[in-house]
Amino acid sequence: MTVSDINQRQKFFAEGNVYLPHIAVIEKIIEETPGVRTFHFNLKDQKLQKDFSFESGQFAQYSVFGIGEAPFCISSSPTRRDHLEFAAQRVGKVTNALHRLGVGAEIGFRGPYGNSFPLDFLKGKNLVFVGGGNGLAPLRSLIWNVIDNRNKYKKIDIVYGARSPADLCFKYDLDAWDRNKTVNMVTTVDKGDDTWKGKVGLVPKVLEEVAPSAEEAVAIVCGPPIMIRFTFPALEKLGFKPEQMLTTLEKRMKCGIGKCGRCNIGNIYVCRDGPVFSYAQIKNFVSSEY
Amino acid sequence: MAKKISKKDIAQLLKAWSQQFAVLAPSRKRGVAEMAEWDGKDVSFLDWYRNTVVPPKASFLPPMEEMFRFQKDKDNYKIEPPSKNGQKQLIFGIRPCDARAMAILDMTFEDAYQDPYYLSKRKNTLLVGLSCANPCESCFCTSLGISPSESADVDLMLTNIGDHFFIEEITAKGKELTAKTSGLKDANKDDEAEARKAKETAYNKVTRKLDTEGIKDKLLASFDDEGFWEKAAAKCVSCGICTLLCPTCYCFDINDELVKDEGARFRSWDSCGFSLYTRMPMENPRKEKWRRVRQKVCHKFEFYPMTFDIIACTGCGRCIRLCPVNWDITKVLESVPAKAKAGK
Repeated sequence: MTVSDINQRQKFFAEGNVYLPHIAVIEKIIEETPGVRTFHFNLKDQKLQKDFSFESGQFAQYSVFGIGEAPFCISSSPTRRDHLEFAAQRVGKVTNALHRLGVGAEIGFRGPYGNSFPLDFLKGKNLVFVGGGNGLAPLRSLIWNVIDNRNKYKKIDIVYGARSPADLCFKYDLDAWDRNKTVNMVTTVDKGDDTWKGKVGLVPKVLEEVAPSAEEAVAIVCGPPIMIRFTFPALEKLGFKPEQMLTTLEKRMKCGIGKCGRCNIGNIYVCRDGPVFSYAQIKNFVSSEY
Repeated sequence: MAKKISKKDIAQLLKAWSQQFAVLAPSRKRGVAEMAEWDGKDVSFLDWYRNTVVPPKASFLPPMEEMFRFQKDKDNYKIEPPSKNGQKQLIFGIRPCDARAMAILDMTFEDAYQDPYYLSKRKNTLLVGLSCANPCESCFCTSLGISPSESADVDLMLTNIGDHFFIEEITAKGKELTAKTSGLKDANKDDEAEARKAKETAYNKVTRKLDTEGIKDKLLASFDDEGFWEKAAAKCVSCGICTLLCPTCYCFDINDELVKDEGARFRSWDSCGFSLYTRMPMENPRKEKWRRVRQKVCHKFEFYPMTFDIIACTGCGRCIRLCPVNWDITKVLESVPAKAKAGK
């Protein structure tokens, strides 16, 4: 991000104050799994909604006033702008409060923050998406982005898994990608049930079976840390170099702009320098800090 | 041209400055020494003051600060931006170590996005430094390139030369202030010599030394040396005081409060020494104490230098003086293995 990018972005905030949220209104709620919901929303101020811009991979701080703020990626694609989306798993104070909200509720929104997936670097390459659980949220912003610009990219493989069929998020996307003949979609679960007819197996193992070529390819990985830790070695086995593996990380965050201190991995702040990183950037710290 | 002022005129001087500024000076009214609004008469701090317990960062990044208020009207919210406080401040008596700490903090709060709360106060504040004559046993500022009696990070610098203070004009803002201040005399050659002598004496009184040569690389190489960090953290009780009262620590938390229909968002000091600091619902990357101690030490001596090319420690010694279990960062840094043990 250049200084002028920052200045440009800073202007979007009320009085140039990057901590002041705008009011956003929830327009639709989708129950993805028993614990995960997707929220469709728009900024209340229509001019702001129109002026707002973001890129796939960026995140924002969402607040339930009186409860607090939490960071989530913008899970919708910038190519589809009639509303914005984020997904939240009900696990803490803020996400529990978010899950109590209904359509029409007002929340605080400030962002976008952080870097984004490097589209220029991805252009003309084979893309391998590897997702686990609700870690598909940031990937789906990029997946729809590249599908909407399909001729700019070569082969697209998607390997996505969850613990059980009930834990699969964004099933409507999975179906759409499965039907899309320009995309190779592979869905797996750690443990099937009576009705499950798809693959059974952990994501890194299934990825090795799918065995996408590393040639002119970039792998984009997001999921629970345990999945990420085992996916990188699997990709290395397939011939991917650390520079060819991208991921987007999640840490406890408060400010979102590299000031409050807590989301660092070594000298890198996930909020300021990420959340998108290549494995090359973080591999020294991954074993001990992530 | 340097100035001087008679010691008995200090109250007069602060009174004059109080006309244009909210003057903050060392105070023990709340029990511990801190920079607090000057009461208009008491200059007894000139006798007892060595350094404040609460670092001057508290005047820019308060322990707790309201960021904005919001109102709830049924299901709608209205945000009230913070009022613009243009109050000009003057901090009298800041030590060179703490003045350097402010310059170090500026780097973070100016980096990428501007932090409006910190920077607006910083822009409106003049720093008047006071040479240390009696550094503490725990002080090691000279090992970090700081002199206890000189500073380029203040607007004016005062040095005790017997019955007078010798006044150096460091910045244009400082010069402007002395030009508008009556009761200052021009310093002569003898005063200058006195000041030089006083500074040298003070410098030599800082006896604690820390060898910072190559420390960044040593820490980088020892990052995964779990045994070393476990030992370094053994007696730490995770009270957080070494970070909360560190002049260069800036970590904060953000929380909301809503009473009936009136709410506010606050930020408050936080510490990487606390296990909740990095806790996420599913996991915590720094659950073990040694990881938190490693973060504290490495942030100051490895990560901050990697990002801003400066060690985020000024040798003020607070973390040593105030630690309830005598944890000593200089001892930890001295024991970082010169060569890392074979990685796990």
